[in-house]
Amino acid sequence: MKNNLKVERARKNLTQGSLATLVGVSRQTINAIESGKYNLSTILALKIAKVFECDIEEIFILEEGD
Amino acid sequence: MKTTFLLPNSYKKIGWILLCTTLLLIILSTGKNPVINISIHVFAINNGQIFQNNEWFVWIENSIIDELICLFFILGSFFVGFSKAKFEDEYISKIRLESLAWVTYLNYGVLFISILFVYGSSFLTVLVYNLFTTLIFFLLRFNWLIYKSKKLVLSEK
Repeated sequence: MKNNLKVERARKNLTQGSLATLVGVSRQTINAIESGKYNLSTILALKIAKVFECDIEEIFILEEGD
Repeated sequence: MKTTFLLPNSYKKIGWILLCTTLLLIILSTGKNPVINISIHVFAINNGQIFQNNEWFVWIENSIIDELICLFFILGSFFVGFSKAKFEDEYISKIRLESLAWVTYLNYGVLFISILFVYGSSFLTVLVYNLFTTLIFFLLRFNWLIYKSKKLVLSEK
C-alpha cells in the first residue's frame, strides 16, 4: 500500500506530531506509516481521512500484489 | 482500539526496579563467598531428592535466594514488557506482538540446535536458561525496536 500522507500533511501544514495528536497516536506511528513500514488499521485510516476531509483512497492507495 | 490486556504504565517502573533487584541478588548470591543467603522453612507440594524418595506435602528448610531471583525476574519482565507504553497505540502493540513472535522463533531455534548438539547434564542447563531467555530476548527486541523508531523520528526533526 502506498500513501500520500506526507503530501497531504504538507498541504494542510501539519507536522507529524500535530497529526499524531489529532488522531490520537504517537509520532512514531505517523512516521512509520509515512515510510511504509507500518500498515495502519482501518480505524486509524478513517480518522486520518477525517482530518484531511477526504476519502481514504485519496491518501492510501492499493498497490499491485497487495 | 481495544488491545490485549496490559498493565497500567506505572508498572513499567516497578518492573525495572524488580529487574535491577534480580541482578543485584544474582551478584550478591553467587561466587565463592556469597554475601547473602536466606534459608527459611517453606511448604513443598513436592520435594524431589536424588537417591531418595520424593516427598509430598512437607515443610522443608530451603535457601530461597534462587526462588526470589526467578520470581522477581519473571514479574519484572512481565511488568516491563506487558505494561502500557506512555503513548500506547496500535503501532506499539504491533511491535510488541511481532517481538513475541520473533523471540519464539529464536528461542525454539536455539533449543532445536541444543537438542542436536548438547548432551548430558549440559542439556539440563540449556533447558533452565531456555526458561528465561524467551523473556530476556523479548525485552531486548521490544525495547530495541521502540528505541529505533524513536531515534528515527528525532533524526527527522
